[in-house]
Amino acid sequence: MFRFKRKSTISIQHGPIVKWLLRHTTRMCELQRICYGELCGAPRTLAVEESLKLSRNANIKTLIVYLNDFADQRAITKQTKQKILKEAIVTILVTKKINPTAHPDFAKSFGKCIELIWGYRQLCVECEELRKTPYDADNPEHELLLLKLWNLLMPYEPLDARVTKQWQHIGFQGDDPKTDFRGMGILGLENLVYFAQEYPSAATHVLSHSTHPRYGYAFAIVGINLTSMALRLLRDGSAKTHIYNSSKSFPTIRAFHQLYCYLFYEFDGFWIDSKPSNMMEFSSIQEKFENSIRMALADSSTVFRINISVDNV
Amino acid sequence: MGLLSILRKLRSNPDKELRLLLLGLDNAGKTTILKSLASEDITQVTPTQGFNIKSVQSEGFKLNVWDIGGARKIRPYWRNYFENTDVLIYVVDSADIKRLEETGQELSELLLEEKLRGVPLLVYANKQDLGQAVTAAEIAEGLGLHNIKDRDWQIQSCIATEGKGVKEGLEWACKNIKRK
Repeated sequence: MFRFKRKSTISIQHGPIVKWLLRHTTRMCELQRICYGELCGAPRTLAVEESLKLSRNANIKTLIVYLNDFADQRAITKQTKQKILKEAIVTILVTKKINPTAHPDFAKSFGKCIELIWGYRQLCVECEELRKTPYDADNPEHELLLLKLWNLLMPYEPLDARVTKQWQHIGFQGDDPKTDFRGMGILGLENLVYFAQEYPSAATHVLSHSTHPRYGYAFAIVGINLTSMALRLLRDGSAKTHIYNSSKSFPTIRAFHQLYCYLFYEFDGFWIDSKPSNMMEFSSIQEKFENSIRMALADSSTVFRINISVDNV
Repeated sequence: MGLLSILRKLRSNPDKELRLLLLGLDNAGKTTILKSLASEDITQVTPTQGFNIKSVQSEGFKLNVWDIGGARKIRPYWRNYFENTDVLIYVVDSADIKRLEETGQELSELLLEEKLRGVPLLVYANKQDLGQAVTAAEIAEGLGLHNIKDRDWQIQSCIATEGKGVKEGLEWACKNIKRK
């Protein structure tokens, strides 16, 4: 896995006088200048987001509230997306008096920014809902998902019983994983299942490291702690860089799972490289790891990619 | 009662640094108790791999609370944290009746440790809000607390997720810190 770098331009938010001057000399509004001047992905989307946030225009303020409502109710779906996007674009074209025939690329470029910005917001809401859903041993769907995790990670070792010490082989704390998901709820389990399902060789590789006699750690428990870390990055907006750069369109829960997989795979390498004396060093090493990820995300050109070749080894 | 107010109460103590040690089986509620003391969000707790520590400092006086993971694999490392402990806080999930014997076993082994000799013991009978929970008196009975003769001890029922009872337990702990 490697971090992808691209050249980036520096974005500057201008004051009202400079804006007025620029508008009249370039005959373009700030949003147009951003869409034409900034690289697509995070540099452009972050600049559009900031510009919209700072706008004092009543139409734009109303538009933001309107889009926020859709995202907060998770109402941006395949069916509604095109209509919502169109409304947003038309509002901007009319408000900023942009001629769509003279500027055909603006609508497309700006529309993609809208998809990313409000897709991200909706993604935060969706993750929070999954996190708040506690693991429930009486829910057959939850139980099936848990058994699926076992079968994905340990295909050659059947479980002797639902409650068994075998769960510790994949890093749960005791003989029943149901109490281990805690505050991460079903999101913690879904992250683990996604990792094991989409990157089987990477997951097996990490799992085998976790049983290392010297540098071993609890795979599932570390995984649940990494769900918590991924969620912190998502919530405070640090993950925007990666999500805006990596999503072709509207980011869904898949984008969060992908970020998680990257973090898990990278953490494993980081842990081994740190040569910890035992698992009591987890909090300090996790903190260092989180700092290094935050540093990478502070660069708007960063996109985390899971190297597919790993999965063919 | 947050960590700072405990610190204020303890200011008459001659020691400059105090150390509280939170132990107990996994899923007992140690981290939730720690976070509620530090007035942090308790809804997003994760299982402790390793340990957590919270420190508060005021006017040259320092209070450290150590919360060590309770998973069976981590328990052998508990002993690394015994030194200079002022109060041992042992947390029990009152609704986990199946493991009451196991938690009793772990506690009696702790009480035999040389480095914890004479250290006051506070037991939290946590999760009193759960239907299956047994009372603090039953926990005390199950753990054989009444047979302890070599140290001060106290059992306190609590609901860490609601912050209920946590304060009362700590008040006892403050009063019983020994001068070294």
